[in-house]
Amino acid sequence: MTTVLSARGLQKRFGRTIALDGLDLSVEAGEVHGFLGPNGAGKTTTLRILLGLARASGGEATLFGRDPWTDAAELHRRIAYVPGDVSIWPNFTGGEAIDLLSRLRGGTSDKAAYRARKERLCEAFQFDPRKKGRSYSKGNRQKVALIAAFATPAELYLFDEPTSGLDPLMEQMFNREVDRIARDGSTVLLSSHILSEVEALCDRVSIIRAGKTVESGTLAELRHLTRTEVSFAHDPAREAAVTAIPGIHDLLIDSGRVRFTVDSDQVAAVLPELARLEVQGLTVAPPSLEDLFLRHYGEELAPAEAEARA
Amino acid sequence: MTPFLVLLRQRIRRDRLQLALWILGTALLAYASISAVYDTYGEEQDRREILGVAIATRTILIFRGTPNGISDGAFAFFLLFAWLALMGGLMSTFLAVRHTRQEEEQGRAESIAATPAGRILPTTATVVHGVLANLVLGLFIALALMANGLEVVGSFVWGAAIAVSGFAFLAFGLFAAQLFRTSRGANGISVAFVLAAYLLRGIGDAAGTPSEDLLHVTPAWPSWLSPMGYGQFTGAYVENDLTPLLIPLAFAAVLVGVVFALQSVRDQGASLLAGRPGRSTAGPVLSSSFGLAWRLNTSILLSWTAGAVATGLLATSLSSVVNQAATDTPAVLETLRRAIGSEASIEEAFVAVFYGIVGVLAACCAVQVGIRARQEEAHGTAELVLGTPIPRIRWLLEYWIVGTIVIVIVLAAAALAGIAGAGAASDPESLVPNVLEAAAAQLPACLVFLGLTLLVFAFLPRATITVGWTAVGLAAILGTFGPILQFPEWAIDLSPFAHSPVPAGGETDWSGGIWMLVIGLAAGAVAVLAMRRRELASGG
Repeated sequence: MTTVLSARGLQKRFGRTIALDGLDLSVEAGEVHGFLGPNGAGKTTTLRILLGLARASGGEATLFGRDPWTDAAELHRRIAYVPGDVSIWPNFTGGEAIDLLSRLRGGTSDKAAYRARKERLCEAFQFDPRKKGRSYSKGNRQKVALIAAFATPAELYLFDEPTSGLDPLMEQMFNREVDRIARDGSTVLLSSHILSEVEALCDRVSIIRAGKTVESGTLAELRHLTRTEVSFAHDPAREAAVTAIPGIHDLLIDSGRVRFTVDSDQVAAVLPELARLEVQGLTVAPPSLEDLFLRHYGEELAPAEAEARA
Repeated sequence: MTPFLVLLRQRIRRDRLQLALWILGTALLAYASISAVYDTYGEEQDRREILGVAIATRTILIFRGTPNGISDGAFAFFLLFAWLALMGGLMSTFLAVRHTRQEEEQGRAESIAATPAGRILPTTATVVHGVLANLVLGLFIALALMANGLEVVGSFVWGAAIAVSGFAFLAFGLFAAQLFRTSRGANGISVAFVLAAYLLRGIGDAAGTPSEDLLHVTPAWPSWLSPMGYGQFTGAYVENDLTPLLIPLAFAAVLVGVVFALQSVRDQGASLLAGRPGRSTAGPVLSSSFGLAWRLNTSILLSWTAGAVATGLLATSLSSVVNQAATDTPAVLETLRRAIGSEASIEEAFVAVFYGIVGVLAACCAVQVGIRARQEEAHGTAELVLGTPIPRIRWLLEYWIVGTIVIVIVLAAAALAGIAGAGAASDPESLVPNVLEAAAAQLPACLVFLGLTLLVFAFLPRATITVGWTAVGLAAILGTFGPILQFPEWAIDLSPFAHSPVPAGGETDWSGGIWMLVIGLAAGAVAVLAMRRRELASGG
C-alpha cells in the first residue's frame, strides 16, 4: 500500500483562532476514507490546505509525496475537488460551468467520451444544464461540482460534505458514483458529519474534533470501541436474573422492553445467558458510529464547557 | 424593538462607513470647490466673462448648470449643483439596490422574510433609510455652503433640491430592483438613469434661451424630464422657490407606490424581467482560465467602451462648434485658453480635455477588471478554478493581461470615434494625429490604476473594491477638475491623470507617461509574483 495523502501535526491559525491543532491524517491508495467531525472541527480547513488554497501554519502535509502548497497546480492534474459550499458563476449556465471546469482539468481531450460521461451524469443526477447559475439551489450548485468531478477521471477525489444539499435519492446516486470510482482504483477522501454516509461508503475513518484527530481506523476497529445494544420484552419475573448478567451496561427497563448495552467483544458471552432466560422479541443492534461520535464529543464537551465558564 | 426599527438599524449600521464617506466626501467637494471658485472667479468681471463664454459655446453648460446671474450663491449653484446632484443620485440608487435586490439575490432576504419582518417591511425600511441618507446629505451640503459664507435660505434650498432629487433616484433604484433579477442589472439601469437625468438637464441648459445680458438662461423642455432639472428650477439664492420640487417628490411617491404594489404580488427572488434558458455546453472561449477571465470582463468592457466612444465622438465633433464660437467672439478664445492653461489651439485643448475623460473611463474599466478578480475570490468561484491545474500566479497574471487588453480597446475605440467625429472639423488632417496621440497618452495612467488594484488584491484582498474605486474616483476629481477648480498643486499632483502627457501646442512632454508606465508595470508584476505566497482569502 502506498500512502497517497498524509498530514502530520498539521496546524492552522487564523489570527488568534486555532483552526487545526496538530491534525494527523493518512490515506492509502485505493481506499475510501471518511473524514468525520462536527461543524467547525477543521474539516474544510484541512481540505483547503491539502488543495494548496491555504497554507499550514505548522506540521507537514503531502499529497502523492509532494507539497500541496508549492506543487498545487501539478498536483491538481491528479485531483478532483468538490467544495462544501459550491459557488458557481451566476451568468453561466450549469452546463457551461461543468464544461469549463472539465476543460481546465484537461478531461475533455476525448470529446465524444466526455460528452457521453457528462450526459450520463446529468441524467443520473437529474440536472438541467441549461439554467443560469444564479437560479440554481444549493443542491444544484453542488451537482455542478459533482458532475464536473465525476466526468473527468482522477487519482484522488476530495469531497467536502458532498451531499449536504442533496436529497436522499441523489445521495444514493452519489454513493453509486463513489463506488464506481473506488472500483476503478481511485482514492477518495470524504469529509462529513453524517455518519450513515460514511458508514455506507468508507473503508477507514478518521474522526476529528477541535482541529485534532481523536480516532482513526477501519470501521471494524472503531466498532470495538463501541457497545452493541441488546433489547427484548420485559418479564418482571426474570428482572433479577437480567440484572445479574455480567458485563452489561446502561440497563433500562421502559415501555415493556429491557435495554442494555454490551461491549462489542462481549456479545458472544452474553448470548447464552439470554438463551437461558428464554427472552422474547430479542434484537441485537450493531454499534453505530453515532454512539462513537456521541461518546467522543459527549466526554470531551464537559471539560471544555467548564473551561469556558471559568 | 419592533422589526422595523431592527431592520432600519441594521441598514444604518451596515452603511455607516460607506454613507459617511459618501456624504462627507460630497459635502467636502462642495466646500472645497466653492472656495476654489472664489479664488478663480472672485471678480464680477471674471464671472461675466465665463458666463458669456459658457452661454456662447453652450456645450459647457452641459457639464455645469443653468446660468442665473453672477451673485456668489447663484454662480456657485450654476457651477456645482448638477455635480452634487449626480453624486447624491448615485448614492441613492446604489443604496436602494444594495438593500433590496442584492439581498434577495444572495439569499439573505429569504432569511429575513421568514421572520416576523416579512417580505414588505425590509423595503419600507430601505425607503426610510434612503430618505434619511438624502436628508443628511442635503443638510451637510447646506452646512458646507454656509461655511463658505453663503446665505442661509439659499443654502437650505440647495440642500433641499439635492435631497429631493435624491428621493427620485432612490425610488428609481427601488423600481429597478423590482424589474431585474440581478443586482448588477438593477445597478446598471439605475446608473444609466442617473446619467440620463444629468444629461437631459444638460441638454435643457445647452438648448435653453439666453437672456440679453448673457447672464441667465431659461432651460429648454428636456430639463423638465430630469429630477436634477427641477432642482435647478428652484433658483437657489435668487428665486429660492421650492415649488418645482413637488414634481420629483410626486414622481418618487408614485414610483414607491408602484414598487410596493410589485413587491406585494411577486414571489421572493422573482423579477418582472425573467431570464431565459441558456446553452447546455460551453462555447470555445470557456476553454481556458484566460478565456474565463476574458469572458467575465466582456460586459464591463462593453459598457466602458460605449462611454469612451461617446466621449471621443464629442471631443472632435464639438471642437468645431467651439472653434466657430471662438472665431465669432475673440474674448471666448482667450477665456478658454486661460481655463485650460495651455497655449494650444482650441481644438487641441478640447481634444486633450475630452481624452482626459476617456483616460478616466479606461482606468475605471481596468480597475473593474482587478475588482472582478477579487469578486471571483470572494464569491468562491476562484476556489473552483484554483482547484484545477491553474497556478495562482498564472491566474492573476491572466487578469493583468485582460486588464491591459481592456485598456487598449477602450482607448482605441475612443480614438476611432474621435477620428470619425473629426470629419466635421475645419481641419480634420491635423486633428487625427492629435487624437491618436491624446488617446495613447492615457495608457500609462490606466496601467498605474490596474497595477494598484492588483497590488491591493494581492496584499489586502478585502480592501480591493473600496481602494480601487476610491483611488480612481479621487484621482479623477483631482486630475480633471482640480486644475479648473484651482486645487493646490500638490493635491493635483497626487493624481496619475495629472501626469498623463498632453499632446497640445507642438512639443509634447512624454516623461510623466514613461514614469507611470514603469510604475504601473512594476506594481502589476509585484502583485502577480506575490500570489506565490498568497492564500485564497474568501468572503468578507
